[in-house]
Amino acid sequence: MDSSVDFLKGTLDLMVLKTLSWGPTHGYGIARWIEQCTSDVLQVEEGSLYPALHKLEEKGLIAAEWGISEHNRRAKFYRLTVLGKKQLAASHDTWARFSDAVFKVLRTAPAGR
Amino acid sequence: MSDEHAPHAHRAATWRRYLRFWGPRAEADVDDELRFHIEMRVRDYMERGMSEAQARAATVKRLGDLSNDRAECLTITTRRQRRMTRAQLVDALGQDVSFAVRTLGRQKGWTAVAILTLALGIGANTAVFSVVSSLLLHPLPYPHADRVAFLYQEPTQGNTTGMMVTVTARASVIRAWRESSRALEDIEPYTSASMTLVPPRGDAVSVTTASILPSFLRFAGEHPLFGRAFTESDLPNGHVAMVSEGMWRSRYGGESTIIGQTLTLDGSMYTIIGVMPSRVRLPRAFSAIEVWLPLDLHNEHVGYSTMARLRPGMTYAVAERDLDSISTRIDAAEKSKMQFHSKLIPPRQMVGFGESLLLLSGAVALVLLIACANVAHLFLARAASRQRELAIRAALGAGRGRLVRQLFTESFVLAAAGCVGGMLVGWLGLEALVALRPGTLTELDGARIDLTTLVVTIGVSALTGLLFGIVGAMQSARHSTHESLKAGALSTSHSRRQSRLRGLLVVSEIALSTALLVGASLLVRSVVRLQMMDAGFDARGMYGITIILPEKAYATPAARRAFYAELTVRARSIGGVESAMMAEEAPASEGFLIGALQIDGEPAPPLGTTAFVDYNGVQPNYFRAMGIRLIEGTTFSDTSDKSNQVMVNAGFVKKYFAGRSALGHRVRVVFNGSGDWMTIVGVVGNAFTSGLTLDASDPLLYVPFQGRYHPAILVRAKPGTNPIASVRKLIPAIDRHLPLPNVTNVEEAMQQSIATPRFTMMLLAAFTILALVLAAVGLYGVLAYAVAQRTREIGIRIALGATRRTIGRAILTQGAFLAIMGIAVGLGGAFWATKFIDKMLYGVPRSDPYSFAAGALLLFATAMLACLVPMRRAVSVDPLIAMRTE
Repeated sequence: MDSSVDFLKGTLDLMVLKTLSWGPTHGYGIARWIEQCTSDVLQVEEGSLYPALHKLEEKGLIAAEWGISEHNRRAKFYRLTVLGKKQLAASHDTWARFSDAVFKVLRTAPAGR
Repeated sequence: MSDEHAPHAHRAATWRRYLRFWGPRAEADVDDELRFHIEMRVRDYMERGMSEAQARAATVKRLGDLSNDRAECLTITTRRQRRMTRAQLVDALGQDVSFAVRTLGRQKGWTAVAILTLALGIGANTAVFSVVSSLLLHPLPYPHADRVAFLYQEPTQGNTTGMMVTVTARASVIRAWRESSRALEDIEPYTSASMTLVPPRGDAVSVTTASILPSFLRFAGEHPLFGRAFTESDLPNGHVAMVSEGMWRSRYGGESTIIGQTLTLDGSMYTIIGVMPSRVRLPRAFSAIEVWLPLDLHNEHVGYSTMARLRPGMTYAVAERDLDSISTRIDAAEKSKMQFHSKLIPPRQMVGFGESLLLLSGAVALVLLIACANVAHLFLARAASRQRELAIRAALGAGRGRLVRQLFTESFVLAAAGCVGGMLVGWLGLEALVALRPGTLTELDGARIDLTTLVVTIGVSALTGLLFGIVGAMQSARHSTHESLKAGALSTSHSRRQSRLRGLLVVSEIALSTALLVGASLLVRSVVRLQMMDAGFDARGMYGITIILPEKAYATPAARRAFYAELTVRARSIGGVESAMMAEEAPASEGFLIGALQIDGEPAPPLGTTAFVDYNGVQPNYFRAMGIRLIEGTTFSDTSDKSNQVMVNAGFVKKYFAGRSALGHRVRVVFNGSGDWMTIVGVVGNAFTSGLTLDASDPLLYVPFQGRYHPAILVRAKPGTNPIASVRKLIPAIDRHLPLPNVTNVEEAMQQSIATPRFTMMLLAAFTILALVLAAVGLYGVLAYAVAQRTREIGIRIALGATRRTIGRAILTQGAFLAIMGIAVGLGGAFWATKFIDKMLYGVPRSDPYSFAAGALLLFATAMLACLVPMRRAVSVDPLIAMRTE
């Protein structure tokens, strides 16, 4: 895979939750959404995505149900659970503060641009 | 996952889809999910202009080897599925249920009809099953009821009548059994009687009393509500009593001061020592017991009912041998040959209503089947109209398994509502059943909706739920959702298949109803025949007064006869008494005396094959007073001890003399090893003196009255008078130590004797009407649906010039076709099924053509009635409106 940016730990989970906050979709839909949102800067690796989805499902943050896709194919649709919504809200704040902090550090570092 | 696996996995997916309904399958799910991803990726690449081969190559390159990730997903999912707690399942179920309730609530009419249909079917079954459960499954309300049996004796000399001939044991035998039996842990004799209670205030009333031994309460596993139970020291005087809980509440206001008060029963005073809880019941008592008295087992004159409880691990056969060896010793001591075997009879064999119950169980089961067919049919109609809704939900992402589960949840919610309704209907039905029960069926009073009934009701409801669930699921699984969406309505092949299934359901409903109708007609005709039957004697204004003379004061037959003679003479002098006479057995009493018959000139039959014959001891004027016809000879002239004359009925002549004259022949009735030869002097007509259901043509002997056991004085009142109270008072007037006796109204008792068949008939008729209504509703539903579906087609036809007559005829023909198919199948079924009610029929052959014709015609008429509304709707279709809709 030729992704230019590797995911930091936990980032993928957060993005999955965020994607699902728009509505239920299947794994491929999630991957495509993230790719399109970031103009293909982030490429979701299948090897990480599916275990992550299954783990989130196990934690009860998302729920899965089999359904029919837009191309009339059977697919596993994921949706955000109530627990997942709370988790998303909490992580969202944490991430905002974290990325803000990281950015500050990067801006003031002598080696920075 | 590599490409080579895909085709194989794809093939497997089709059948796996169905399996998935029964539970999640982690492996298949993970594979399906990944394959979907791969194919979407390929599709994406292709949309960007790659060829399929290029796209696949790119995908494989991008994805790499996914097998580790697949394994990881699998582990997580499997772990999650395993860990899914019961709470989560319950939660998911709760969501399904609430959704089902909302869905059903949107179609109120449909839901109401379905629930009502189910409630009626399930309720009828609950009511009947609660009776079956109380009477046949749990017949005795005692601890270890499985070891409790009735204890009788059976004549050893054989019994060629094929009927169960039992007698109650003598008190001396019961006493010996109680002392020495090793196989039985309890032997409880009891008697029940009707006595006159004179309360401190108000009028005298008749109450039912029972006499029991002090050990009875322990046997029944009960304690007095308060006060005390009987003890051995109560027996010598015996003037203590316990009153029932009901009587205590109604007559004594539930006050504890009742203890120590006195009761006047049949002129004697009794001190109340305790209150008996209403749970304590006696089997085969003729009504609820209100007063309990201590039983004196030294009184040889009373016929005891006896219950016994086996020791754990004992069998009936062992216990019977044990009892026999004891009674043989008694017989030897009394220097008489052994006459009887001991017989332990499990309570369920003693239920007089047993056969009717099985018949009624069958009938209500049929009603439930019809109800099920109706609801299944409702489901089909609904599934058709919901096809679109289901298709939309499927398109929105609901899996097929999810939809099927939803349909099942709906049927179970419906079944649950039907179950609750059924319990209500069952409870009401049982109350009605008990309220309407004939006097002879006191066992019904104990019928309750018990735990067994509840479990069975719930089980039956679940089963019905499963049944419609399957129908619904079959419908939804059969259809590609895609197709339904596209077509917007049903495809024709589908609708044809559906209407065939619906037709089949209605045909089976009609068939079941026809069979029920034929059975009910047969029973109705039997009961009518019984009712119209000539009893062979005149019961109008006839009363029987049973007298029990104390053994010590009336030790000799002569002393007893003197008492009866005095009584008869005095009774005749009372105004309003047309005639009075004595008989050993009163009409409509439980039965006759029996003995082994021997005919002079015929070889003595070997022991064990001797015919038993019923006999009665009567006074010479009995026949004229009873209105029994003298066919041949004379009535006997003499009633002295030495009389050697006997009279027989026509049935006797037919059976033993093949219709030739029996006059002058000698017979004897051997009982207890002896019997005098008697000459037949007269033949009288058959009379149903022991009830209308027994066969009047059974051989019967009349011997001169001797006052042997507990005879009756028979009094015929002049029309419009009731001298019975005066006659009754004669008895203590002749001997002030004697209590007022029981009085039987023979006319009423004769009616009572057919109460059970009449009751069975009534119930069966009720179930049949229920079945008929359900079948009509079913047929109506099919036709109404057909008309609704074909409204457009009918409109076009009318527009093209078809007359409304033709349209109407077409609908009627469709209904008639289904009805006739059902009736034909039903008549065939009835022909087979009637063999089960053969024994309950009287004077009507089970192939009675009138009953079959009546069943068929009534059903056809009902079916045509059900066709009327859909037919009228069809002929009034407005072609313009019909074509605009859809």
